Amino acid sequence: MSGESIVSNGGPVVSCQKLSVVAKNRNILDGVDLDFAPRSLTAVIGPSGCGKTTFVRTLNRMTELTSGLKVKGAVYYLGQNIYDRGINPVLVRRRIGMVFQRPTVFPMSIFENAAFGLRLIHESEDEIDKAITEALQRAGLWDEVKDDLDRSAFSLSGGQQQRLCIARALAVRPRVLLMDEPTSALDPIASKRVEETMRRLKEEIVLILVTHNVGQAARVSDRVAFLHKGSLIEVGPTAEILERPREELTQQFVTGHFA
Amino acid sequence: MATALVSATGADPADDLRRGDTLALRWRTGFDKSMGYLLPLLFLVALIPIIDLVWYISSQAIPTLSWQVLTSYGNYQSQDALGVPIVTTFLFVTLATTIAVCIGLFGGIATAEFLSDQTAAWVRTSANLLAGMPSVIVGYFGYFLFCLYFGWGLSFVAGVFTLSFFMCPYVFRTADLAFTSVPRHIREAAYGSGTKPVQYILKVGTPIAFPQILTGVFLAMAIGVGETAPIILTVSPSVLVPTGLLSPATYLTYLIYTGWENAATSHLALVIAYQAAFIIIVTVLALNVVVRVVAAWYRKRLAGLYQ
Amino acid sequence: MDSNPVAGNPGDREPIPPDIVDPLPKAPPPSSGAPAGTGRAGFVLYKIVPLAPALVPAAIVIAVAIVLVHVAGLSIWFTGWQLHVTLPMNFGTSFWGSAFNANDGQYGMAVFIVGSFLTAVPALFLSMIIGLGIAIASTTYLPDFMARILDPFVDLLAGIPSVVYGIWAFLVIAPYLGGTVFPWSVGHLAFIPGFAAHTTHPVSPTTEGTGLPLAIIVLTLMALPITTLLIRDALRSIPRDLWESGLALGATRWEVVRRVSIRQGSRGILSAAFLGFGRAIGETVAVAMVISASDRFPVNVYDSTYTMAAFMYLSLDGAYGDPSFLAALAELALVLLLITLAVNLIGRRLVSHIYAQEVAGL
Repeated sequence: MSGESIVSNGGPVVSCQKLSVVAKNRNILDGVDLDFAPRSLTAVIGPSGCGKTTFVRTLNRMTELTSGLKVKGAVYYLGQNIYDRGINPVLVRRRIGMVFQRPTVFPMSIFENAAFGLRLIHESEDEIDKAITEALQRAGLWDEVKDDLDRSAFSLSGGQQQRLCIARALAVRPRVLLMDEPTSALDPIASKRVEETMRRLKEEIVLILVTHNVGQAARVSDRVAFLHKGSLIEVGPTAEILERPREELTQQFVTGHFA
Repeated sequence: MATALVSATGADPADDLRRGDTLALRWRTGFDKSMGYLLPLLFLVALIPIIDLVWYISSQAIPTLSWQVLTSYGNYQSQDALGVPIVTTFLFVTLATTIAVCIGLFGGIATAEFLSDQTAAWVRTSANLLAGMPSVIVGYFGYFLFCLYFGWGLSFVAGVFTLSFFMCPYVFRTADLAFTSVPRHIREAAYGSGTKPVQYILKVGTPIAFPQILTGVFLAMAIGVGETAPIILTVSPSVLVPTGLLSPATYLTYLIYTGWENAATSHLALVIAYQAAFIIIVTVLALNVVVRVVAAWYRKRLAGLYQ
Repeated sequence: MDSNPVAGNPGDREPIPPDIVDPLPKAPPPSSGAPAGTGRAGFVLYKIVPLAPALVPAAIVIAVAIVLVHVAGLSIWFTGWQLHVTLPMNFGTSFWGSAFNANDGQYGMAVFIVGSFLTAVPALFLSMIIGLGIAIASTTYLPDFMARILDPFVDLLAGIPSVVYGIWAFLVIAPYLGGTVFPWSVGHLAFIPGFAAHTTHPVSPTTEGTGLPLAIIVLTLMALPITTLLIRDALRSIPRDLWESGLALGATRWEVVRRVSIRQGSRGILSAAFLGFGRAIGETVAVAMVISASDRFPVNVYDSTYTMAAFMYLSLDGAYGDPSFLAALAELALVLLLITLAVNLIGRRLVSHIYAQEVAGL
């Protein structure tokens, strides 16, 4: 089945099947089965050390950067297992983008930051210009920077830098965007702007958000997945999970009995 | 506001992870992979010379060395006797290190503990500049100052002081750094509970900083053993152990240099040069290993202090 | 236009990453350590004595300059705001000339200055390129355990004394150059300007193999540990998530290094260049042993030459008792000193930690 037909049939964009990550003796992630539908925002929550960051990093093959981690199981992107031999991780990462905890802007101008991914695939200057404008608009940063894109990225505030990172990731037109606690280094106002961006983006692409902030999950996500000690305990629509979870552990976490 | 971008049914060829693997992408990946093989090969540029050098010197020197050679006090210009140069070098290095430690240790601690940030910055800059000065300039300075102005002539004591000036910035830097890296909370706890600066230095700082300071001393010694210019320019050579402060004296590195000068004419000079080079290399490498070991131990200790 | 409520919010700003060594709160001033009522004795003991050893390095540096200036016979004075320097004969016309003849009072230093740069600049260039390659390999491409084993070998290059380098290069490398490499390059590379043989006097290359190329090789090896170490440091200090961000955008390792890491670490890399150059131009004994000194400009790439440091080293004992020769040498020393000081100052300034390297005495 080709990618388009999977999606037009209502199939998931990303599908994890029996996904496990093993390091030395421990199972950091143990047999996770999770699907992600198009145009959705799934929040992945859980106590610290439950493996949510590792989970998200397996979705774009970033776990390969840490030595000693073995990935078992499969992650299907539009029907293809990204861990197959012969699949280039570089390509995977263009389709599945990532935003990190701290704003990680490069030491370049705003324009060059956003253009980074596009320059790698040698788009024409015109294309790049258009794509940048679009990406910055989608990230909700355009109005604040449009008068001078050649400023250094460091002249932006933290929240703006993080939105620039989002724009940078969006510029290569991924279908999926992974976000690993993107607002944890930002103050509440900046966080709010980023959450607004997330709400807009979820109408267009698949967002997978790792967050330790249950309130944030409530505000932006359609679906919540709860991880505990590497296992997927429960997943379901936001309202259900947060108000009427089926599992005991979920209930305890959501009500703050453990963090 | 998104344009015809990512509609769910939009066919984007890049989505096919297999066919999206275009020529351009394969070129990029291939280039990256080949860099992964080529760049590490550059290590050979550093590895081959050093291995060759150590191997060559060792293979030339070891067959000719014996306990007798090392301890005999004969005239090294007419026979293979390294006793005098070894003892003299030992004297030089010990005395120079003592002076260098006096200057560097106290200076470094003073900089870390007593000086204001502004003054400390100037002092550190000057230590760095001193460390960066070419050995020939320090040698010149020693000659002009000690041999001419002070009137000591080309003497043992002039060499000792010149060498110590060359060595002191290394002790200085490590002492300064050692005390500056005492974990903040420990330092604040000590001063906060009323410890006086001298007490702090003796009872808290020194035990913590000791390994690092030790590495600085060994480092300075390793550098001192291998130096030529500061000695040659300030001390006239002699086949005898120095009898007084103003007497002439020789040095191991001087033997190597002489061996080079007389390589064509004197076989003995060359043999001695190899032997001296071997001894120096062994000493310097041994000191370097000790420094590394102590540094690793120190790092562990420091990490432990942070809990 | 919505004035950005966010930009002005101080809490929004990225915290400045701490310097390698945290600036510590300063200790209470020494006077607090002085027992009350000790007056002058206490003042000396507790304020002056701690300061004295700390000022010694500065004092030495200044003393070096003063002594050299004095021997060189320069007079420097101020009138109002202006600095006046009288240049004795040697800084005059003959200084920049290339004729050197101590007996005739000619002290043309141009050869030595040019020679220093002719040897140090290519050596710096080579050691930067190799150092960059090694540092990138070590931080990016090699697995951790391999890097940990191989890195110390490069640092070990710094531990070998210069005189040992000199004698090894002279006895091992030189014959190889003179016997094998030069004949080949004279035969095959003669079309490149400078690589052809010079058959009239001076004959170059000779079979000895000493001269400019050997000096450059030796200097490259001696500057290599510095450049490699500093660049490696610069690359290592790049935050991990910055590196990962680059990869997450679909870049290969090389692309992230080339486009992000090098720019991010540019200060450290620049400092590596300056400090490496300082090492190369100041290196004395090893160069003296391999350049087969001559007092003219080299006629081709194989020719011998002379550097400031080597010349100073080899000529001092010929200058005993000759005040004008000594003065000339002191002037040359001042030039070398100024160059080295400037290069070191700029180089150290570029690096954020207090000392460029803790353990390896660079």
